[in-house]
Amino acid sequence: MIDQVRTIVDSALQLRGRLGASDGATPLLGAIPELDSMAVVSLITALEEHFGFTVADDEIEAATFATLGSLTDFVQHKLDA
Amino acid sequence: MSGNGSGAPFDAFFLPAAGGERFCIFHPASGAPLGSILYVHPFAEEMNKARRMAALQARAFCARGYNVLQIDLFGCGDSSGDFGDARWNAWNEDVALAAGWLARHTEGPVHLWGLRLGALLALDHLRQAGRSFAGLLLWQPVISGAQFMTQYLRLRLASDMLSGAEASRRTEQLRAQLVAGQSLEIAGYELSSELALAIERLSLAALAPRDVPAQWFEINAEGKSSPALRRAAQACIAAGAEVELHAVRGEPFWSSVELCECPVLIAATSDTLALTHA
Repeated sequence: MIDQVRTIVDSALQLRGRLGASDGATPLLGAIPELDSMAVVSLITALEEHFGFTVADDEIEAATFATLGSLTDFVQHKLDA
Repeated sequence: MSGNGSGAPFDAFFLPAAGGERFCIFHPASGAPLGSILYVHPFAEEMNKARRMAALQARAFCARGYNVLQIDLFGCGDSSGDFGDARWNAWNEDVALAAGWLARHTEGPVHLWGLRLGALLALDHLRQAGRSFAGLLLWQPVISGAQFMTQYLRLRLASDMLSGAEASRRTEQLRAQLVAGQSLEIAGYELSSELALAIERLSLAALAPRDVPAQWFEINAEGKSSPALRRAAQACIAAGAEVELHAVRGEPFWSSVELCECPVLIAATSDTLALTHA
């Protein structure tokens, strides 16, 4: 799952492999300058379109986007819901 | 004005229309034309982000023997009007205007080519149009107008989150303002209540025509069609529509942080068009 999420983050933010073999602890928000509002929305959209779930407004919070791990947990949670 | 510095000729002109003029670019086919293609651009900033890919694809179509006409819709690009005054029906009329121009100035079958929300506008036009089209080329079509609007309204929430501000508004609250007839300023564009509510009602599956073959192209990191678009395609096919799904690997050039190209998409689209004509 983390590999799928990493691929989507890399593509949505055009990091061109900069995340490398990052693990769950890899910080996203505040660590990646490309993560502006349009990029956040692109990333959410890419996750929704890929996995077919809908992200609620109150889920757009800093804690979700803090690290690759928190984002992966969020995706897993949405898929289990 | 003609020419683009890369050797392929084109004509840029203004078409007189309601409320002023629409900026158009006509790329004539190289050699005897096999037909024409009308491009319907995406929404707001996505149009600007996608400009380069649209130009590259237009040139590729010309090289394969097709004329291409691009029109800037009312309030967009170099056309007259303010974005805040744009309405869905007026955009529909702009597509009809461009299709009428092609009918007067070119011969052969006409295909509609739409990107993102432009794909839904192309479909909506097709549903209402009195003229017939040979085919549809849809790039990353928006599946649900309501979901698309939610994503657009989220730009406000995302910028709140990034600035560390308490999210002051939810998309439902923004929607309530639109329903109450207020317009919203989002990401530098004034979004009118009328336009937002018209977009909300659109759905890809509901608009898909039964009598015009459609090629849907999806662009993502894995080069595989997503479950969501597959479901929409299955619904259309079950309803009797002719839909072929293509997926290519690439970046979302219509929303990307940096301008990017997706040459694989251009090759796949050009090849598909050539095959449907073979």
